[in-house]
Amino acid sequence: MKSAVNKGWRPLLVFILLLVIWESAARLFDVPGWLLPLPTQIAKEAFTGYSLYASHIMSTLTLSATGYVVGITVGIVVAILLFRVPFLQQAFYPLLIVSQNIPIIVLAPLLVIWFGFGMLPKVIVIVLVCFFPVTIAALDGFRQTDRDMLYYLKMIGASNRQIFWKLQWPHSLPSLFSGLKIAATYSVMGAVISEWLGANKGIGVYMTLASSSFKTDRVFVAIVLIIILSLTYFGIILAVEKSVLRWRSKGGNESNGATHS
Amino acid sequence: MGQLTLENVSKSYGSNHVLQEISLSVKEGEFVSIVGPSGSGKSTIFQLIGGLYTPDSGTISLDGTVLNNSRGHISYMPQSPALFPWRTVLQNVELSSEIAGSKQDRAKTIELIKSAGLSGYENAYPNELSGGMKQRVSFIRSLNAPQSIICLDEPFSALDEFTRLEMQQWLLSIWETYKKSILFITHDIDEALFLSDRIIVLSDKPAVVKDEVIVPFERSRSEELLMSDPFLTLKREIYNLLRG
Repeated sequence: MKSAVNKGWRPLLVFILLLVIWESAARLFDVPGWLLPLPTQIAKEAFTGYSLYASHIMSTLTLSATGYVVGITVGIVVAILLFRVPFLQQAFYPLLIVSQNIPIIVLAPLLVIWFGFGMLPKVIVIVLVCFFPVTIAALDGFRQTDRDMLYYLKMIGASNRQIFWKLQWPHSLPSLFSGLKIAATYSVMGAVISEWLGANKGIGVYMTLASSSFKTDRVFVAIVLIIILSLTYFGIILAVEKSVLRWRSKGGNESNGATHS
Repeated sequence: MGQLTLENVSKSYGSNHVLQEISLSVKEGEFVSIVGPSGSGKSTIFQLIGGLYTPDSGTISLDGTVLNNSRGHISYMPQSPALFPWRTVLQNVELSSEIAGSKQDRAKTIELIKSAGLSGYENAYPNELSGGMKQRVSFIRSLNAPQSIICLDEPFSALDEFTRLEMQQWLLSIWETYKKSILFITHDIDEALFLSDRIIVLSDKPAVVKDEVIVPFERSRSEELLMSDPFLTLKREIYNLLRG
């Protein structure tokens, strides 16, 4: 905890400094509030307008959490299937890349046409942005197993199944967690985008309403909410990673042949 | 249990002729070393015994059953410790019996860790251990397996001189307690003489068994043996054999 404080004060100081510059510059040049609101105005709106966005937060939270859990599950399952069945890898890997080349903004209206305005098309959007970094990270982890350990397991007669669960899977975890962290921030973004398309609740809706009525301070409140939500997810994954990968933080000399970045 | 026999085993990879009619045997509870020039196919012998590849001709058998291209009959200690960094010392030692699917005997595992001088390190992770300690964990991991024969592939070659001598003495003491059959690959004549009951000398590629030297020294052996006259005479003899 102490090290977090020690490391944390620098970016915090820069952040506060930026806010001060923003505040004083906007006051100095007399920028109108609908164009660029003052940080203090935004803070005031965040406090007084709490009842306006409170219900929206819950909605986005549920949506993004659902999408995230489904997305990473799909991501991990796809990675395992592609890795364990070489035929599937050859057949589906290019398709996987293509799936990421279709802009979500184009795809989302189509999903609404097909699946309506309910939860389903929104979850699909989040799954589409979340599963890819997870799959790629996990596949990378599976492929980069330590050769000495692999050779050892083969020599003592381990089956492919044993090699996967005892070596390749645990070995991929550090890499997998990188993917999970990226996906965590993507999931909030995906949720907000999907809410733009047609929803009656959510930070995305709150944001659309605010910007169409030139309540720019509320748009900024929405941005702050999105950042807080993303950071919370990121923090949760970081904490899980720390407890799962306890072995990495112990001891100093990394001379076991297993090198992780 | 633990009688390993190779009969006229040959192997080539394409035009690369590696082994030519290799015959050797390890009796129950015997410690046999294979010495040979580097690149003479010593590791290929292990890969065949381990069942990773099939010999072109000849048979490999353990206690009378033919093992050609079948895996899981031997225990193995590699050159690098190859410990799994996410497993504690205890979990690493248990890995070999876990793979073999045999029942874990926690008391025996703890006893083995104690005999390796690693009491108190049961829950430590490999990156907290020194090089010598890792090798000891790697060896007791191979001892903890249910298989009756252990193949060791130049296990001490990466250690410094003093640690190596210490490890050799430790290996002998622990082997004398557990008495498993051992097949040991090395390019170090001193090491082979100090540890083995018998030494198999291989030629350059394609490898044939040049000679088999019976090591006459009494057990248990101590460090002084390394400087004694009979030891040095035998060492010279093997050296000349390897030279051709």
